[in-house]
Amino acid sequence: MNPVDVGFIGIGILLLLLFLRMPIAFSMAFVGFLGLAYLNDFRAAFYTLAVDIYEIFSSYPLSVVTMFVLMGSFAFASGMGTRLYKAAYVWVGQLGGGLVIATVLASAGFSAICGSSPAAAATMGRIALPEMKKYHYHDGISTGAIAAAGSLGILIPPSTVLIIYGILVEESIGKLFAAGILPGVVLTLLFMITVFILCRRNPSVAPSGPRTGWKEKARALALVIETLVLFLFVVGGLLIGWFSPTQAGGIGAGGALFIGLIRRELNWNKFISACEDGLRMACMIFLLIAGGTIFGHFMAVTTIPFTLVDWVMGINVPPTVIVALMAFIFVIGGMFMDSMAMLMLLVPIFLPILDYLQLNLIWFGVLVVLFVESGTITPPVGVNVFVVKGIALNVPLETIFKGIVPFFMAIIALILILIIFPQISTFLPSLITY
Amino acid sequence: MLKRLERINHSVSVWFERIGIVGLLAMLGVTCVDVLGTKCFRSPIHGAIDIVMLCQVVAIAFTIAIAQIAGRHVRVELFVSRLAETSQAVIDSFIYLFQFILFALIAWRTYVLARSLQIAGEVSATLFVPLYPFVFAIALGCIPVCIIFLLKFVNSVIKAARK
Repeated sequence: MNPVDVGFIGIGILLLLLFLRMPIAFSMAFVGFLGLAYLNDFRAAFYTLAVDIYEIFSSYPLSVVTMFVLMGSFAFASGMGTRLYKAAYVWVGQLGGGLVIATVLASAGFSAICGSSPAAAATMGRIALPEMKKYHYHDGISTGAIAAAGSLGILIPPSTVLIIYGILVEESIGKLFAAGILPGVVLTLLFMITVFILCRRNPSVAPSGPRTGWKEKARALALVIETLVLFLFVVGGLLIGWFSPTQAGGIGAGGALFIGLIRRELNWNKFISACEDGLRMACMIFLLIAGGTIFGHFMAVTTIPFTLVDWVMGINVPPTVIVALMAFIFVIGGMFMDSMAMLMLLVPIFLPILDYLQLNLIWFGVLVVLFVESGTITPPVGVNVFVVKGIALNVPLETIFKGIVPFFMAIIALILILIIFPQISTFLPSLITY
Repeated sequence: MLKRLERINHSVSVWFERIGIVGLLAMLGVTCVDVLGTKCFRSPIHGAIDIVMLCQVVAIAFTIAIAQIAGRHVRVELFVSRLAETSQAVIDSFIYLFQFILFALIAWRTYVLARSLQIAGEVSATLFVPLYPFVFAIALGCIPVCIIFLLKFVNSVIKAARK
């Protein structure tokens, strides 16, 4: 049989296994192994299976994932999200929709020290939902905002999705982090504008919170200093080339641990629990990468990625149309799959096309993050929505998904803005000289 | 009998994770000390990259089982959950069997790889630490995962047969 046909049958079997509830990492490894055994022989497939897994587990560049995931776990356990929310609450809570705006701001701040989107949604959900309930906020806007603002976690650096993307396309992680900063700020502003418009149309959905004085506001600033210092030290150190990515992650994790200990937020049980959580998350990501690598080797043997390039060369359409097509596949796939899995599955297939079109891989990386970000809040498998649902048990899923729609539109607006003005994501990386 | 095996395997997985946490904290400690040593005292840890790499193998390999038990490996929960319980049990038994085969193969082939590295005397780049024990660790970490899938396979077959 023609290798390309075998490749498409392999993709078909992979999708079948995914829909039959086989974990994505294991499905990719299993199909990749069988495909390699069929196209080469079992000896080659056995060798690839063992060597790929060992090489991924022992990869020093990938240790950056472990370190940044651990940093997020320690930041979560150290109560840094809670303090950020308290500060934002004091500053903007008195405005119409103020508690939602506070949630968005605190999520953006927490995203600057934690690269995981569900962790940001879980942190803000636990703190902000009871407050919004107290002030009779509509369930749709409160839960929708928390789920959507959580998605800032994978855009604002440090971002696990940008790290994996950087490793896959061999781009500088520092430059990718820099590329995520301005779009992250713009998306935060778009979310705030969304809240403002919703409140103008119907002020009763999000009434004002309590008034606070300037003294209280000034005191609240102290709550954000630790986060700001940690972010500037870790991400700033990485951007100016003072740290390697792994070193930055290690220092970030150490810093978050130190803050937790100084603040007396971390006891032994919380510390172990944070380690367990970080390690399990890292293990999940490593297995996804290992599975994706084995599947990627199978795809390379089938020559499908190169056939796709030939196809793109054959059709005479502008690159924007190809990007739109890839975006469509990402967004549709993101509705059914986890963001990291989408990345591992699609980026290696699309990479030869990106190279052929000579697209800026850093700009495309930010777009990819936004594509998968929209997947975290869209039905039926929006992971952030299920995180929020786990906290807001009385709110129907339908209400949360309806509440997300305006914020989803804000993400789509940012995607369009970045396509029209790519400089928003390429300006800061262009200042980095290494 | 099955319940007892499950309990023993769970305890083994928990202990494996504790070993993984030691590996993780060693990674963190070495990275932080190396950075501070390099930036403040101009004396980095010799072979820090080797230590981080090898600790990472231990950390990840020994956590696969508990991550599986905790349901951390991402899967698509959309279609099968809407089927009748019998159909779910039949599908699950096949899927668990595939996963058992996959991890049995990984355990076997990483063992073979470790043996070949041992015979060839492969060592790490800077500290010249033998690599084979760490590849054996991957094979060892896969054993409780195989048992988890084997038990789930047997339970699904029993469930399907009873229905």
